[in-house]
Amino acid sequence: MAESVELEVKGLDFHYAGNIHALKKINLTVYKNTVTALIGPSGCGKTTLLRCFNRMHDLYPNNRYEGEILFQNQNVLEKRIDLIKLRSRVGMVFQKPTPFPMSIFDNIAYGLKLKGISKRSELSEKVERALKHSALWDEVKDKLNASAYELSGGQQQRLVIARALAVNPEVLLFDEPTSALDPISTAKIEELTETLKKEVTIVIVTHNMQQAARISDWTGFLMLGELIEYDRTDKIFTAPSEKLTEDYVTGRFG
Amino acid sequence: MMTHERKRKIEGIIALTFSTLAAFLGLFWLVFILGDVLVHGVKALNLSLFINDPAPAGVDGGGLRNAFIGQLMITICATLIGVPVGVLGGTFLAEYARGRTVARLISILADIMVSVPSIVIGTFIYAILVRPIGHFNGWAGAVALSIIMIPVVLRTTEDMLSLVPWTLREAAFALGAPYYKVITQVVYRGAATGILTGILLSIARVAGETAPLLFTSFNNSFYSLNMSQPISSLTVTIFQYAMGPYDSWHSQAWAAAFVITIFILLLTITGRLIIKWRYK
Repeated sequence: MAESVELEVKGLDFHYAGNIHALKKINLTVYKNTVTALIGPSGCGKTTLLRCFNRMHDLYPNNRYEGEILFQNQNVLEKRIDLIKLRSRVGMVFQKPTPFPMSIFDNIAYGLKLKGISKRSELSEKVERALKHSALWDEVKDKLNASAYELSGGQQQRLVIARALAVNPEVLLFDEPTSALDPISTAKIEELTETLKKEVTIVIVTHNMQQAARISDWTGFLMLGELIEYDRTDKIFTAPSEKLTEDYVTGRFG
Repeated sequence: MMTHERKRKIEGIIALTFSTLAAFLGLFWLVFILGDVLVHGVKALNLSLFINDPAPAGVDGGGLRNAFIGQLMITICATLIGVPVGVLGGTFLAEYARGRTVARLISILADIMVSVPSIVIGTFIYAILVRPIGHFNGWAGAVALSIIMIPVVLRTTEDMLSLVPWTLREAAFALGAPYYKVITQVVYRGAATGILTGILLSIARVAGETAPLLFTSFNNSFYSLNMSQPISSLTVTIFQYAMGPYDSWHSQAWAAAFVITIFILLLTITGRLIIKWRYK
């Protein structure tokens, strides 16, 4: 199957404020409608890399990018890129669920309203669709006006995914989305990635190698800011080319 | 060995005794004052107090309508000036200037401002808003009270906004929200009850101030809604009536003290209830 390219990272270097060299000459291609997992020991730069895709690092002063990240042939690291537009096309889900202090409905509608949608009927329709997408609809359809804080952690995480999905992003970035959840909620979110990738491209950072093996098509292994190996997931886990990768995925360190 | 253990036990008993005594000593005066205000105040309370203006000096009867209305107007105006400045200032410190030296500097200055004696603020406003104009006026009183409010509201807002987890802001940014919308639609919601409580407590704080009003709005024996003229307030009225020679004044001062105490008590209790309800 010929896969089309969604994101192309070319020679990416990233420095945190204070000249900490967090990513070194990263090259990697994320294909459309696939799940790409980023694995590696703590502090290896996987989350840092993920946060480059939607320029989250720009929220803090003096962080520096070099190189290119092409998103449909446009370099998202360019200075003059519209970050608001970029972030509505590249959504993000965080480690801990981040529901806003408002109702379930308003949580999902938030991104839609930012996009200028204000018609109640249109909002309702899109909220329902997003909740169905994230497999939360049946659990919350009777209490859309309840506070999002009343949901369980796993439900909150699916709510946040629905919120990100509602604005029709092309890419979804998952930053260890299940590390704060119980096994059942984790399974639900893993199933979700399988159905979601028909519509969006997913990049997921995970500490859990079994999870990467279960849900991803491509896997990148990072260490000390370098991308050691990037290949199809089955190859990384069964026949890696690099000794370091093999040692890591077999649990010899990390 | 035994003596050592006994010594520790005795020390414990002494510490317990002294701290209990100290607590009761503090509580005694508090209950004494509140009880006194309650007893005298309730006795002097009547409908005429709220619907009539003061009778000529020395004549029985009359009321303090002018002082109630004046107090309300000054307090409301002070709130309208102080709250927006305080909330926006706190927002600047916690959001736009987070972690910068200027934010720390303003924070420290605000903390100092909170403990500046209110009479100093009163004389300051006298110098800039009373003397140049030539007469006492209600606006000067409102400004003086608002200056006492601002640092309180500012610091509460800053603290409450800082308590909102940073990841919540990141989540809003990640949806493509501009910073001002992140603040007004997400962060304010998360901190709303805390900020509201701070505002209520700051109103309670200024509603009982006398010194800054003596130098600014002063007093007015007549019913007046004109903030550009001297205007009556409960606290200054209490001060004058309590010092005055007539028994009718004294009892009215008690009644006014009672009303303002209850008002502040209610504000404080509401503030506490909101905190309890929010963080239960």
